[in-house]
Amino acid sequence: MARIENRIRRLRFDAGEMTQKDLAERVGVTRQTLLAIENGKYAPTLELAFRIARTFGVGIDDVFTFHDE
Amino acid sequence: MPVGEREALTGLITMLIVVVLATFRLFDQHASGAFDGPDALQVWARSILILIGVSIAIAIAVSVLAHILEAVLTGERPDDRRDERDHLIERRALSWAWYLLSFGILAVIVDLAFGSSAFRALNLMLALCAGAELVKDGVKLILYRRGS
Repeated sequence: MARIENRIRRLRFDAGEMTQKDLAERVGVTRQTLLAIENGKYAPTLELAFRIARTFGVGIDDVFTFHDE
Repeated sequence: MPVGEREALTGLITMLIVVVLATFRLFDQHASGAFDGPDALQVWARSILILIGVSIAIAIAVSVLAHILEAVLTGERPDDRRDERDHLIERRALSWAWYLLSFGILAVIVDLAFGSSAFRALNLMLALCAGAELVKDGVKLILYRRGS
């Protein structure tokens, strides 16, 4: 089963402890959607994944990692 | 609370109220013999049209109340934005409702083919529509609660 992990929480912390609400507003989603992504319960679309990566100024690989088990 | 989750919750409440009202109203009419005459289907249709009007009014009232309640409880203006996850959940919930409706209609047609009355078929169709709406909102609520 495929699994997508992310480092959003770490990246938020490194970006001056950015809140989920702030990040959600910057990438144009609700806080609940961001929470679901952070907890690995929702896999974002490619567009949203790029938006999140761009917000932190990193590549998409630095935010999301794909595990095919 | 995401707008989709609030809508699912208010939809469930509305539909439960409407189902109870419709059941009482139709059973009451049935008991009084309103559906025994030659114009039974017209009487039935008029009752359903009135119920649709009442259900729209109930839906608006429940929605406004839920909006106010959320604003009071959270101290913030409810967020009515929809994003990609809301659309995904909506699609999943709609597909479940669609399956129920499709198989249900097929079952009603089979029932008709085996000699059931048109009156019974119409009531079953009505129940199916209500059931599909309940399933749609129920699935939405589960998906939101599960975090998917």
